[in-house]
Amino acid sequence: MRDQIVKYAGKLLADRSALEGRIAIAAKDDVLLADGDPALVRLAGSVLDRLNCLSLVAASPAVPFADFLVARAPAGDCAIVPRDTETRTFLHDIPFLRANDLEADPAARIAQLLGSRKGVVVEGVGIIASGALTVEQAYINYSSVFHATFVKYLEDLLVEGFRLPGEKEAFAAFRTGWLRPLTAEGLVFRLGPLVDPDEILDEVTTVGRYTVERGLVDSFFGNISCRCGDMIYISQTAASLDELSGCIDPVPFGNTSTTGITASSELAAHRRIFETSDAAVILHGHPKFAVVMSMLCEEEGCPVTDCWKDCPKVRIMGGTPVVAGEIGAGGLAKRVPPVIAGPGRAMVYGHGVFTIGRTGFAEAFSALVEVENWCRTEYFRRLALRG
Amino acid sequence: MHGWTGTILKVDLTSGRIWREEIPEEFLHAYLGGRGLGVRLMRDYFRLDPFDPEMPLIFAVGPLCGTPAPTAARLAVVSRSPLTGTIYDCSAGGRFAWRLKAAGLDALFITGQSPTPVALAIDGDSAEFLPADTLWGMEVKESVHALAGHGSVATIGPAGENGVLFANIMMGEGNSVGRGGLGAVMGAKRLKAVTVDGAGSVSPADAERFEHARRDVMRLFRASPVIFGELGIAQFGTPALVDLMRQRRMAPTENFRKTVFPASGNYSGPAILRDYQAKNDGCFGCPIQCKKSTPQGEHLPEYETVSHFGALNGISSLAAIVKANTLCNDLGMDTITAAATLSAWGEIRGRFPSAEEVPALLRAAAGRCGAGELLSLGSRRLTEQLGRPDLSMSVKGLELPAYDPRGAYGMALAYCTSNRGGCHLRAYPISHEILRKPVPTDRFSFSGKARIIKIAEDTNAAVDSLVACKFSFFGATLEEYAELLSATTGTEFTPQTLKEIGERIYLTERWYNCENGFTTADDRLPERFYAEPGSSGEGIEVFPIDRARFEEELQKYYRIRGLTPEGTFSDPTYLERQP
Ligand code: SF4
Ligand SMILES: [Zn+2]
Ligand SMILES: [Zn+2]
Repeated sequence: MRDQIVKYAGKLLADRSALEGRIAIAAKDDVLLADGDPALVRLAGSVLDRLNCLSLVAASPAVPFADFLVARAPAGDCAIVPRDTETRTFLHDIPFLRANDLEADPAARIAQLLGSRKGVVVEGVGIIASGALTVEQAYINYSSVFHATFVKYLEDLLVEGFRLPGEKEAFAAFRTGWLRPLTAEGLVFRLGPLVDPDEILDEVTTVGRYTVERGLVDSFFGNISCRCGDMIYISQTAASLDELSGCIDPVPFGNTSTTGITASSELAAHRRIFETSDAAVILHGHPKFAVVMSMLCEEEGCPVTDCWKDCPKVRIMGGTPVVAGEIGAGGLAKRVPPVIAGPGRAMVYGHGVFTIGRTGFAEAFSALVEVENWCRTEYFRRLALRG
Repeated sequence: MHGWTGTILKVDLTSGRIWREEIPEEFLHAYLGGRGLGVRLMRDYFRLDPFDPEMPLIFAVGPLCGTPAPTAARLAVVSRSPLTGTIYDCSAGGRFAWRLKAAGLDALFITGQSPTPVALAIDGDSAEFLPADTLWGMEVKESVHALAGHGSVATIGPAGENGVLFANIMMGEGNSVGRGGLGAVMGAKRLKAVTVDGAGSVSPADAERFEHARRDVMRLFRASPVIFGELGIAQFGTPALVDLMRQRRMAPTENFRKTVFPASGNYSGPAILRDYQAKNDGCFGCPIQCKKSTPQGEHLPEYETVSHFGALNGISSLAAIVKANTLCNDLGMDTITAAATLSAWGEIRGRFPSAEEVPALLRAAAGRCGAGELLSLGSRRLTEQLGRPDLSMSVKGLELPAYDPRGAYGMALAYCTSNRGGCHLRAYPISHEILRKPVPTDRFSFSGKARIIKIAEDTNAAVDSLVACKFSFFGATLEEYAELLSATTGTEFTPQTLKEIGERIYLTERWYNCENGFTTADDRLPERFYAEPGSSGEGIEVFPIDRARFEEELQKYYRIRGLTPEGTFSDPTYLERQP
């Protein structure tokens, strides 16, 4: 388990979601193992001690958005309620503790909150997330909370603007310091068509790694597939995009075998896209600005309340169609295929982006970069307009 | 009280007395219902012989039963198993559970032995015995048919009447209370059937909160490839696992001598769908409907059944497997143990039964005649009597289901630490070791597994007490179910408090077992798994299990559970201190 602790501490740094020197990971085997920042390690250890679960990540996020959300929340609130699909589905809400609610021994309070949720925000401390079964699970839950608070803060800013002292400056630092230009430049893609199974597995693995390395998506949110004849090679459910080796399922189109029961929850969407377009490959991820922008709807007097799943419209943003729809057996698999063929790209309300490549992954990858870059630029344009 | 009715119906078959009692609210809060409540109610009885007339047979529903909480129209039946000698519970779905709740009951507690065969008929507030002399000897379908008009039926078949040690109690809609032989406990009481009808309803304390949580669960079901995915169990039923286990090279074959059966494609999920035009079927009120049946309504077998009548016995005919399943259901006999016992016997004889021989052997077992006398005892007693105890592939006498432990080390450990013996449904590590839910773990590693198994056992003890179906948790988690429970009962429960309840239930069971003489010596796999490899190939090596590493992890498990190195309790007051 020690190797796991080292591995996921490394990932928190590599994906730039946590601050160097402000990370602790604790895990319980028959004894408690922990590593990282001493103060956070102590806290993580004593929280984990009170929980019937295996691991805990406690870290300060690399951008201060979670703390800003807490500081901006009305006095009586005790949870952040992000609207993105991933959070709605898997996290529900994210409870928080304010700095002045922390007593001498905050571990008990934190443990109590974690007793019913996968992650919490502790003002001035960071994000603390638990993993019931593995260290990886705690890392995933940390990533989910990081993603959710990131998206929620960007969304709130567009609506409410800056409200806290120092907020504007911190955001400017994020824009110039944390954000990096997104590009496909320098990446090598196989041209396609991809026909050899070994080559396909290798290419899918490589491209998965690219999407994470280039900061397009977080490692756990997304999936990739490649069609070859009557087989779809698709990344497995709960696989991290930067570690797909051994985690790609071959699924026959005719469902003659069910080994692909472990395939991504978006198998149905991928299949329909292959059936209704000339796509050879599909890339799906949750780039943050695209998630934020997909939720901006200017429709007035719209009767739909659960826009994320029920909105029947196709909106166009920067040339990319945006549709609503739930994960898996929800509406996404029905709504994305009809709109993606022409533009080769589509956004899903509150969820992320699907792109296709007609031969290889180069086209799909650039499309993903373009969509996210457009959303970024548009986001900052709208924020500037707000003043 | 919301969620619970707070009432138990007690039945003494010896004296013919039937009466209602209140269940203290604290009990319900501390044990929820289903398995937990049943286990608690066994406290004064667990030392009795399973066939002792005073041994209780307990049917208990949960606080969510009667609400639209997904997969919660279930009950647990609890007693002591004649097959394993352990405390035993089994969960089953169907209208019976729902109607028991509608009759105003959280539980039914049956003791004694009737002088003549009877059926117990519960109708709302009233309950009476019906003479069952004419029903005695009937197969399940007939018996259910004869009792139509009395609401829902739970009955035994000839196997239960004859004391077959793996006899089931069968629910009228085809759900079975399986594995541990509780049908024989019922038979020993000369109780042929229980019928129930009722008109009560359950209203949640907070309807809006309940509906919110219910929608959260449904969203997670839709997001789960295993549940509603194109290749998932709603589509193909649990036989969706056939292809996967074949590919992972962990499909028990020829009494676990091999782990790949070349003909398993004959009874895969897609093959069953194709050959039988299978249609959706499943437990009452469940949105998943993972069970499948023919257009004529014949229930099609589940994964463990197809695999054990198939690969384990070297039988490749799907028709023969379907027939064996139907026959077991009609005779009221557990399919996994029946098939595994045939297989152990086959290995000793040097010849596995052919597809054609199976029906007669199953009938012989249920009737305990000829070779059936031996077969009716289950594989452990059979192999002991034939001088080859090493060939019973069981733990604590419960036959291992169709997941080879050499292919999933968490499963290996879980078989051994399960309080009811070699069962896959307790810690259910297949969920993460094979199906990657909620996160994947390395199936060929013991690392962290002791803790993982412990947490899962606690979690599932709570799930079995709610009573919800384990398959829900391929998508949902205790988070959403704690919400459903809090909304239903008006009392706050969290995943953490539910796991604490689960831990209490697990340890209580373990306590009973220890008092009855179980120790670490019973927490072992059959020798074969430490000595022989599985069927390696296609880039997957299936080694024998490393005994030292297994022992090390088992000891870790005991430490995490607070037990002694013997797997027993160091604190003699543990039970007294529980509510
Ligand atoms: S998932 Fe299957 S076994 Fe579980 S309650 Fe539903 S139909 Fe029954
Ligand atoms: Zn997605
Ligand atoms: Zn709308």
